[in-house]
This record gives sequence, C-alpha cells and structure tokens, in this order.
Amino acid sequence: MSQLDDLLLKKRIIITAGTGGVGKTTLSAALAIRAALLGKRVIVLTIDPARRLATSLGVEALEHEPSDLSDALSGEIEKIDPLRMPADIRMHEGKLNGSLAALMPDTTKTFEDFAAELAPNEDVEKRILENPIFRIFAREYSGANEYMALQRLNALSRLSQYDCIIVDTPPSRNTLAFLDAPELLARFFEEKLIKWLVLPSNRLLSGGMRKALSLLEKLTGTGFMRHLFDFASSIFEVREPFLRNLRGITRLLQSEQTCFLLVSTPTPDVADEVQLFIRSIQEHGFHFEGVALNRCLSSIPFTSQDLDEASDDEKEALDLFARLQAREAQAAERLVSSSKKGMIYVKLPELARDVHSMGDLVHVALALSPQSQPPAR
Amino acid sequence: MKTTLFSETLQRKLLFVHGKGGVGKTAVARALATLFSKQEKSTLYVTFDDPTRAPGELKRVNSSLSELNAAAGVSFEEYIDLKLGGGALTRLFTHNKLIQYLAEAAPGMKELVLLGKIWHEAKQHDRVIVDMPSTGHAVAMFQSTENFARLFTGGPIQKDASAMLDTFHDPNFTGHLVVALPEEMPLIEALELNSLLGRFFPENPCGFVLNKRFPRVSSDLPPPDEWKSPVAASATDYVRRRSILEQENVKIWEEKGIQYLELPFLSPPEPGKPDFTSEALCTEMRQRQ
Repeated sequence: MSQLDDLLLKKRIIITAGTGGVGKTTLSAALAIRAALLGKRVIVLTIDPARRLATSLGVEALEHEPSDLSDALSGEIEKIDPLRMPADIRMHEGKLNGSLAALMPDTTKTFEDFAAELAPNEDVEKRILENPIFRIFAREYSGANEYMALQRLNALSRLSQYDCIIVDTPPSRNTLAFLDAPELLARFFEEKLIKWLVLPSNRLLSGGMRKALSLLEKLTGTGFMRHLFDFASSIFEVREPFLRNLRGITRLLQSEQTCFLLVSTPTPDVADEVQLFIRSIQEHGFHFEGVALNRCLSSIPFTSQDLDEASDDEKEALDLFARLQAREAQAAERLVSSSKKGMIYVKLPELARDVHSMGDLVHVALALSPQSQPPAR
Repeated sequence: MKTTLFSETLQRKLLFVHGKGGVGKTAVARALATLFSKQEKSTLYVTFDDPTRAPGELKRVNSSLSELNAAAGVSFEEYIDLKLGGGALTRLFTHNKLIQYLAEAAPGMKELVLLGKIWHEAKQHDRVIVDMPSTGHAVAMFQSTENFARLFTGGPIQKDASAMLDTFHDPNFTGHLVVALPEEMPLIEALELNSLLGRFFPENPCGFVLNKRFPRVSSDLPPPDEWKSPVAASATDYVRRRSILEQENVKIWEEKGIQYLELPFLSPPEPGKPDFTSEALCTEMRQRQ
C-alpha cells in the first residue's frame, strides 16, 4: 500500500494548502475520489473563493449542504477496465464500496446557523442577525470566509456519516490567515478586549481607553460606534459557547486525526516554499504530512526520436519543453534533498487537457497510485 | 462584453494587475513597471506582504522606478498619522490594545488600509502598477472598501473609502488589467473577474492579457473532446496537443469578442542566472503598444 493511501485510510481530516494555480482544487477532488475508492465515506469541502470544485466535479454548483456524488462516481468506475484498477482499490462486486459527497459553505448561511446555535434565546439571536456590522461581514468577499469555513468544518466533523473529510483551502498566503483565524478571535475574549466595548461609558474606563474610543468615533462616525457597542454586547452574551467552540476548532486542527498536505508545482522556489510552510504548520501545533507536486512534465517520455522527426515549429516547442523538463528535474531534486524522511511525496503528471468531469478526475485519482500505468491513448 | 484595449489602459495613472494565481501576474506587472520607467515616468511597483522583504519596505531600483512591499500594519499607522496629525494622539491611538486588535482582526480592515495606501501613492507618481493578490482576494479588497464606505457613518475614513472607490472607477485615472493563461479555468475566471469587478466599476471594464502562449505547432490531431485520455504519450504528442488545446481554449475569449494582448511563453531562466523575463515581456509589450 502506498503512503498516500495509508494516509487516506488513517486520517479523518486532510487539509490541502498551496499557492494559486497549482491544481489544488483538482487534487482535493481526486484525493476524495481515491478515498471513496478505498472504501471511505468521504466529503470534500472547498473554501476556494474562486469556486472551482463544482466545475471539476462536473456539476453546475455546489451548495451549502452536501451533494451526494456517489452514483456519478459509480457510473464512471464502471467504464474503467478492471485490469487498470490498482490492486488496493477495494471494490465490492465491481461497485463502489465507499461514498462521495461535496459542498461549498455559504458564508452568510454559516454565520446565521452559528448565531442560532450560540445564542441563548431568540432575542439575542435577532440582535446579532440584525446588526449592520454582522450583516455586512456575513456577506461573501467580506474577509470572513476563513472564520466561517472552519466553523463549517467543525460542524461537519461532528457528523458520524463521514469518516474522511478533505478540505480545499484558499491560496497559500491566505492559508496562514486561515490557520490564525481561531486564535485571533479567541484573543478578543481571552484578553478581555471585548470588555472595553461592553462596559457602559462610565468612569471604569481608563483615561487612555476613553480617549482612544473617542478618536475611533471621530474617525468612523457615531452611528458606527453605536452598532459596534451593540454588536460587542450581543457577542459578549455568547462568549462562553463561542470560546468553547473556538477551542474545539483548534483541538480539531491539532488532533492526530487531522493532517496537512502542501500542493505545489515543480518550479525552482518549491523547496523554500515547503520549508516555510512546514515551519508555520509546526508553530501552530498542526501535523504536516507531505507534498504533492502537480503538473509534472517528467512523466512524459522525451527521446531523441522526438527531435529527429520534428518539424521546424515542433523543434521550437520541444526546445521549450526540454528546458521546462530540466528546470523541473532540478527543482524536484532540491526538494527531495532538503526534506525529511517519511514525508509523503506524490507526483502528478501534467495533463494535456483540462479536467472538468468526474471521468477525468477518476483518471487523476488512479494516477495517484504508484502502481498505475499511464493509460493507452 | 465591454472591455478596454491594452494600449488604452497604458494611458492610465494607476494600473491594477489582476488574475488567478500562477498566471504570471508578477512578471506582467513588473514588465509594465519597466516599460514606464524606461519612458522616464516616475513609476511605483506595488506588491503585498512579500515574505522575502521587510513589511512596508520601499526600494529604489533606479531614478524612475521604486518598489513597495505594502503591509497593512505599516500603512495603518501612516494613515492614522495623516488623519490625527501625528504625535502623541497617534501614538495613544495606535498603541491602544483594543484598537490594535480591531485593526488586525476586523474582517476587511487590512484590505481597506492597503487599498488606501495605493490610492495615496497614486497621487505621488506618474504611474503606479499594483501586483494584486489572486482573484477572490482582489475582489475582497474592493468589497471591503465598499463595506466600510457604508458601515462608517460620516468621519474621514468613510469619506476616503468613497473617494477611493470613485478613483478606482474613473477610466481616466485607473485601469484594471486581467492576466490569464491559455488554459480553460484561468480564461473563464478572467471573465468572471471582469463581471465581479463590473459590480464595483461598471464604467471601467478590464483590459485582457493572455500570457504564456506556447509555440504553435501544426498537426492533424482531432479536437480535444475526441481524445480518449488527458495524458500525453510523448513530448511531441504533448506539444501538438498543447497547441490544439490552446487554440480551442482562447475561443472562450474570442467568441465573446474580447480583444487581448498576447504574450509568449518565455524560456525559464537558467539556474543561477538572472531572470530577464520582465525585460523580455516589456519588449513584447512595446512592440504591441
């Protein structure tokens, strides 16, 4: 059994991270399919604001609630020659043993569910939902997607119907923000910062704090300050369940059942990127498992025959191809020599066509197996 | 679909370079900065939170070109300094624990501050080229500015946020360029980005740049839909397929009547040798200007 399959079988939550344009969304979907082929009951969740998972899975749109894709996957598997199926894929009389579902959390909906869950009564819930600050931040592209995606992951993890959750994240520089989200929120409560916004404007406020708040009001307007105080006092009422919840998310991310995979392409800076990523993952107390290099040209055979038979325009293209292949070999070598032993290292071939159907994704999922052969043309 | 010609966007003072990750936004933005600085225009290239540089670092490259690594923390203090007149008041405000917390954790605050910095810089230079974060987060930057323009009721921040949006909407001042690769997803995302930005700036449509077009190869292969597998059998097979595929893909734009600037796939720099990609792209741009 490959290291990767071992991981898919053992871990409950696998989080993929990486900069944009590396095929992270495609890989997440392919990992989910592979885990389903291995017999797991899988759900794949995307928080990529660019919404690419739906297209890759060949469906119109993904919803806030899970869409079951098991039948679509079973249909595709039946089309595949059983001889090409890797030995470790566990089929049950030619049928899919596991299940596959996908979802994309809706920021506003998650916020609303969250408020309803935490609020001690309808009055507090209503006050939170109607506050203009809440309403604006609960909209898409308002910078709160990361907080809420973690919240959705937390809710999903409590459901027993999924034994494997694959999480596709926004591009790398934002992944770090994504990881910091629970801690940042907890600070608001733990360092008692919120109390300054909740205390009635009386003499309990120190002179400095009173001055700072009055400057804030000067900069942002009285209407906003009123909403801010109102928002803070509603949140203050739910601080205990809120903090419990945040601690739950941190525990979930740090637990042994959760791991992180970095997705990248074989370009010269990959080794440094991996080191940087491992460091920040470890600072958070999370578990790093390995790297998946996508769009590798090294798996495409390039021989002297290619050059001998090439036309002039092909020669120019092949020359570029050769340079790209050479750069990739160097990048991969540097990555492997700078990495620790035991790290999962998966190489995925560059595809000659974009992936946009379940059938194509099954091809990629099967290519994740070291035993699999490239399919016939 | 409404678009702006590339050559037309070059007349604008402030240029936002947008696109999905990995499309070569940085190379294109740098090439533009090189282009303008060679014309002796005072040019500023802006990137965000580059981990290899100090936050807020301003580097003078030559007499006409500077590079800024914009960072929200630094820009926030600068802005408050500007608004509160500096000195003890600014210190009291920016050193306050609660204010520091809100500046860091309030969703969209960093985005607002960073765009505010660009807005400010655009008035100080002949050209400002902004290497934007990838698609979803670029939209989040404008969305946040709009959010605060609405949330803050009066006061200088609200006024500035509204003025920023007006500036970014003004086709006489600001240009939005979207860069894509000749691949299906990036091409579609570029169209989506154009319509998302159109929600904020309906009168200022994007200009389009197609980057990294692979050398064209003629062959008698069938169209991509008829290929059995997405995997190439040999290098020759790959370059042939890639040529056909790219030709098919760019139809996504061409069928919508989009005019775009096409840039070639340049050879990667040799290991250990300096990277001349942006100079080469600059030459390509000048030829097509």
